[in-house]
Parts: sequence; structure tokens; C-alpha cells
Amino acid sequence: MFISRPSLFASVVWLGCLTAVFSIAVLLWFLWDNSWLFFQQFGIQTLWLDEWYPYEHLYGFLPAIAGTAWALWIALIIAIPCGLAAAIVSSEIVSSTWQAWIRLSMEVLAGIPSVVYGLIGLWLLLPTLQSQLNLLTGHSLLAAGLILSLMILPTIMLMAQDALQGVASEQREAAKLLGLNWNQQLWRILLPQAWSGIRSGILLAVGRGLGETMAVMLVVGSLDKMPEPFYNILEPAQTLTSRIGREMGEAAFGSLHFSALMACGLILAIVAVFFSLSAQKMRPTT
Amino acid sequence: MKIILIILAIPALLLPAACVLYIFYQALPALNLSLILGSDIAVVGVNSIGQSILPQITGSLLMMGLACFFALPIALSIALFHAFWAKKRQKKLLMALLQMLQGIPPIVYGLCGLIVLVHTLQWGISLAAGAVILAIIILPLLSNSLIHAFARIPREQTDAALSLGLSKFRVLVRIWLPASWSNILTGLLLSMARALSETAPILFTATVFSGITWPDSIFSPVTSLQTHIFYLAQEGSNIQAIHTAWASAATLLLLVLCFSLAAWYLRRYNKT
Amino acid sequence: MLKTILMGCVLLLASTAHASEHIHIVGSTTVLPVVSQAATLYRQQHPNITITVSGGGSGVGIASVIQGTAQIGMASRNTTVEEQAKLEGKVDNIVIAADAVAVAISKAVYESGVHALSVQQIADIYRGNIRNWQDVGGLDARIVVIDKEASRGTRHVFAEAILGDKHARAKGASIISGSNNEEQAIISRSHAAIGMLSNAWLNHKVRGIAIIVDGKTILPTIEHVRDNTYPLARGLHVLLPKTASAAAKDFVQFLLSQQGQAIVQEVGYLPVH
Repeated sequence: MFISRPSLFASVVWLGCLTAVFSIAVLLWFLWDNSWLFFQQFGIQTLWLDEWYPYEHLYGFLPAIAGTAWALWIALIIAIPCGLAAAIVSSEIVSSTWQAWIRLSMEVLAGIPSVVYGLIGLWLLLPTLQSQLNLLTGHSLLAAGLILSLMILPTIMLMAQDALQGVASEQREAAKLLGLNWNQQLWRILLPQAWSGIRSGILLAVGRGLGETMAVMLVVGSLDKMPEPFYNILEPAQTLTSRIGREMGEAAFGSLHFSALMACGLILAIVAVFFSLSAQKMRPTT
Repeated sequence: MKIILIILAIPALLLPAACVLYIFYQALPALNLSLILGSDIAVVGVNSIGQSILPQITGSLLMMGLACFFALPIALSIALFHAFWAKKRQKKLLMALLQMLQGIPPIVYGLCGLIVLVHTLQWGISLAAGAVILAIIILPLLSNSLIHAFARIPREQTDAALSLGLSKFRVLVRIWLPASWSNILTGLLLSMARALSETAPILFTATVFSGITWPDSIFSPVTSLQTHIFYLAQEGSNIQAIHTAWASAATLLLLVLCFSLAAWYLRRYNKT
Repeated sequence: MLKTILMGCVLLLASTAHASEHIHIVGSTTVLPVVSQAATLYRQQHPNITITVSGGGSGVGIASVIQGTAQIGMASRNTTVEEQAKLEGKVDNIVIAADAVAVAISKAVYESGVHALSVQQIADIYRGNIRNWQDVGGLDARIVVIDKEASRGTRHVFAEAILGDKHARAKGASIISGSNNEEQAIISRSHAAIGMLSNAWLNHKVRGIAIIVDGKTILPTIEHVRDNTYPLARGLHVLLPKTASAAAKDFVQFLLSQQGQAIVQEVGYLPVH
């Protein structure tokens, strides 16, 4: 502002920023370009074709999209109630020392690498599912959903806890003065006030669950077939991330198969970014 | 009502301890010194398995270190731009961009890295390619931490220094860094923990199954704990493989926990 | 100060580019145990050469050689017409061993009486026409049909012999597995599975059945591979570009030497002589 020619410091900072912008732009351009190649040739209707067999040039995305949706849905059904309940218990019921420990243990859970979750899924969950539910091998959308719920639970719980603790103390005081009992305080005052933060946490968790590859790849079965009937979550199936992970190594660079995988990646990226940005938009300004 | 909530919450609250304990329990049979000192041959399949995972540990740590080395200056530049030069609208745009980048699944970065770094630039499957991809993955996280670390510094100090005639560089070095070093370190530790846990992006771009103890150069492939666990996970019937896989998982968890717990401790120390 | 040291370390690391020769070998998980063990032995004799080995399947191996990302490729099948076109004759295809692709079933199915199946029966199972082990003389259980990723060498050989075309689809597949190891794990944990495996991966929980061809029952043993009676016998190949370095060519020669072939025999395949 006072300086007319940029200082060395400013130049270095600008250089750093430009490097970031350049490298990310290059990466994303390749993603777009390759996927465009694929969609140009096969059209957008591949999104609802249901056969995926690269050798016969059949590129239907529907089984993978359905699988991803189902796995996420199962994960959310489990993680939202449990995570919310845990957040409420942690911030409203227990004392503050317990609270700190609970928070720490949730952050530990969030930090466990996804491939380790894959191990737990493969060697603990699958045999249990196979014997208890009499499944073929245990590989199924249910298994993927269960493992995903483990992984998104910390996100939901931590953000819900932050949101609940962020409710202004005046609100709590007012509720007490009005003579509301604990239940009414919770459901009529605290939760509605914290709802935007909780919703933001859920959206963030969805974004994260969409991108989860390793754990899902190991337990879902990688079978590109629509679940029959459509609500059958006990059979092996496919998700977008599992498909990319499994076929990434074998698709020859530049081939149609590779472009199809890039297209999968593009869809994943667009949907995940949508959820991420929505989470950011809905976060209460602190 | 409280009872229902507590019942719903108990599985969630017990899970972390249960998972960690289960992992270490399964790893017990293999947790001995041969993990480090045993032979480093990792032959999987119809024959026996080597026991040492030292090459994998060094590979993971090398990639993490190199990724942070690439990401830190860039994240610093972004944070400095946000603090010193960006106008309000630009700040909003920057934060939205960072959020967008953080939302992209890591496997997509791996896919792009495969085309750009491994094939087009002909780096081949290499430590460098893996480190660059990991650096891009942790960049939003690190940038956010740095931006928030700088934002916490009281505005008056910066204004006073600038009005005294200190250059921006000196403000950074003399005032900001000493005041926010623990926040910066926290962010760095969290990014390191994140870089250690990513598997899918480096699976086809940086790692091989066997043959490397210490990489010759940054353009040679490495092996890593994360991908080693993945290879071993496909061995369902070899008991030794199973034990080694759990032991590798326990080691990886230990490493990640070191960094996360250090970050947590720093955050607590900062608050008091 | 710290930054300078750090930068120095990285530069040092970067500057030691190719201090020793590096050979990268990628491809079939069937050939991998042999090459991996041979690489370890070879490294003891030639300490200045680094050999890294990765799996991924025959398709990945051939694609890597075409793209130049690997110095040597491993394949458990012949190259297809499309691949040969891309290779343009610049690569030598060397057979280092032979093995049998066994049709493997779970121990429980084997013990319930299923010891041999005809080609037609196996094809019907994989096409989804036969769904229960009872229909072929076994226990009453739904068949878990394990198919492999389409680019795997083992699958090509299996599909060509059983389904008629190496790219044929198996509509009755219940699950898709990747490497030989993964398939072995699934079969051993299930009590009703059928899959395609190299004969070296068979064990007491994963049994190979005989195939009935023209009225003759043929087991997947090395002897039947040697005298060419087993229909799913195949060669295990190593792909070496003609422009490969001397070290790479020497390593392939090592694989064909007495030491290399001893490893082949130890793993359970048929040596070339």
C-alpha cells in the first residue's frame, strides 16, 4: 500500500499462492478434460445405464451410484441418532471432566486411518455378518454402511457438541426461568438453536463418507450389479470409490476405461464439493 | 427421555476405546522386536512372510515429511496473503475455495496425480509423486490452521507494529510467529496425522509391494505402512500375514495417535 | 537454521538420483511369488541393483510395459491382439514356468461329494443357470460364485476354456475378487464357494476339483500340465522390452537359470525344462 514496487517478501508470498493455484488448476483441468472426453463419446445417459463391463464398452454408472447412495444412507441412519445422542449426553448430562475425555476419545476415533477400519470390517465385521445373517461372504452394502457409520460418527458428534455448547447462555437461563423441564429445554430451545451447526456437521459427514475409499473397497464386494430388489442391501455391490480404487491400476492410461474412471471421479468430486460447500454455508458464523 | 438418549449414546461413546483395544489385542501375537529387526523380505502368497515392517515405517514417515515440506511454505503463503493483502471479498472467496478443495475426495486427487505426475511428467511411481499428492490433500487443512492461527493474534499488536514502520516480513517474524507458534504447530501436527492416514491416493502413484528398504532418490518408489496393510488384508488364510497386518495397523495407529495427541495437548496448553 | 538443514537433506536425497540401478516389475499375482523370491536372491548376489515388485494383475503388467512405467512385466496369460498391436513387437514374451488354473471349491463342498465337474456344468454355474450345489451332487447350499477382475490373467484363461471367450461375462457371479490371495481367502472362509485359482494356491481348505473333458476326468496337477492333458494349463510369462537395460535382461536370465527354476518348483509351478 505504501510501497510502489513489491518487496521481496510480497513476491515470495505471491509466488507461493500462484504455485498452489497453478498446480491445483492443472490437476483439476486434467480431471475435467478426461471426463469430458468420456461424456462426449458416451453421453450423459451413462449415468443411468446399469451395466458396467469395460471390455464390451458398457459404461453404466447406475449400480455404483445406487451402491454409494445406499451405503451412505445406512451410515447416516446409524450415525445421526447415535452421534446426536452422544453429543447431548456429553454436553448436557455429564460433568466437564468426562466431557473432555469423551471429546478426546472421539477425536481418536476420527483419527484412525481408513485402511485400519477396512481391516476391522474385513476380519471382524464380515465373518460376523456371514454367520449371523447367513450371507454368502458377508460382503455387502450393509457392511459398507456399517463401517462408514463408524467413520462419520465422530464428525457428527463433535460438530453437534460444538453447536450445543455454542447455544448462548441467555437462552439457557431464559428456559430455566420459564420453568421448562429438562426435556422441554432440550427439544424446544437447545436443539432448534443448535440445529444449523448440527446440520452443517451432517453435511460435512456426508461429504466425507462419499469420498471414503479403502474401507469400502475391502468390504463391499465390487460387483457391478443393481441390487435386486432395489432395497437388497445384503448382496455384494459396488460404490463409486470402490470402482475407482479397484480399476485404477488396470486401466491403461489414455484409454476409454481410464476416462470412464475419471468421469466417476468427477461425479464424486462434484457431489462431495456440493455437500462440503453447503456445510460451510450453513455453519453459524462464530 | 434421558434414558433413551443415554442408551443410544453408549455404543458411540464406547466405540473409540473398543476399536483401539481390539486392534492392539489382535496385534499382540506379532508385537515383538522382530517387527523392526526381523528380515525385511515381504513375500506374500504361497510362502512365508517377512516380519520386519521397518521399510514400511520409514516409507510412510518419509512421504509424510516430504508432503509437509512441500505444503508448509505454500500454506504459509496463502495464510499471509489472507492476512495482509486480501480484501473482504477475496477472503470469503479464498475460504470457500479452501473448503471446496477440502471436500474433494482424496482418491480423485490420486487419480489426477496418476495422470499428471506419474504419466505425463514421467515421474513414474515415485516418492515425489506421492508426496506432491499428499501435499495437495493436506494443503487446505494446513492453510486453514495457519489462517486461524494468524487471525487469533490481537489486531492492536499488528497495527502498532505496522504504524511503527516495521515491514510486513518483520511483523511476521518478530510478532506473529512467536505469538502463534503453538497454534501453527498444532495445525502442522494435525496435517501430519492426516498425511499418515491417506492410503488410496498413494496406492498406485507412490508405492510398490516389495523390494525397497530405503529409497535411492525421490523418484524411486517406496513402501508404506498404509498400503502394506492393504496388501496384507487380501491374505485371509495366512495366519502370519493376519498377525503382521494387525501389528502394522497398531503401529500406524500409534504413529497417528502420537501426532494427534501432541496436537491435542498443545491446544490444551494454549487455552490455559 | 533448521530450514537450511532440512533443505540440505532433501537436496541430498534428490541428488542421489539413480545411484544404483532400479528395475520395477509389475503384473500378475500368480507370477509374483516366483519373481519376488528370485529378486531377493538376485539382490544378494548383485547388491547395487534394486528390484521392486508390485502386483495388480496381468492386465496391469502388460499395460505398464506398454506405457513404460515398469521395466519388466509379469503376465499369466498370452497378450491379446489389441495389446500386441500396442506393443508393436518391441517386447519379448518369455515363458518362465507353467501352471494349471484350478477350479477351486470350499472344503465343505468337496467333502459333500463334489470331486469333479464337467466344463458345461462349470459354465452353467458361472452363467447363473445352476444355483445350488445340490444340482451337481453336493450339499444344499447356494453357490457363491467368485469371479475375478476382468483383466486378470487367470480369468482370461478360465473364461476362454470354460465360457468360450476370454472376455466372456459371468452373469452368475456373486462377488468379484482381485488377486489370487484374496480369492483364496474368500474360498477358505466360505462353505459354498467356487472360484478360479492357480494350483499353487490350493490347500486343505481350498480344494481343486477335476475337470471332466470328453469323458476323461483330469486333475489340476503338475503332471497333467506337463503332458498337456489339463485344459486350463497356461504358461507364466515375463515381458521384457527389447530396449531393456543389461541388468533387466540378466535378471530374466537368472529366472531361467537353475536357481530361478528351483524357485519355480518350490512355489509349485512347472519349470520350463
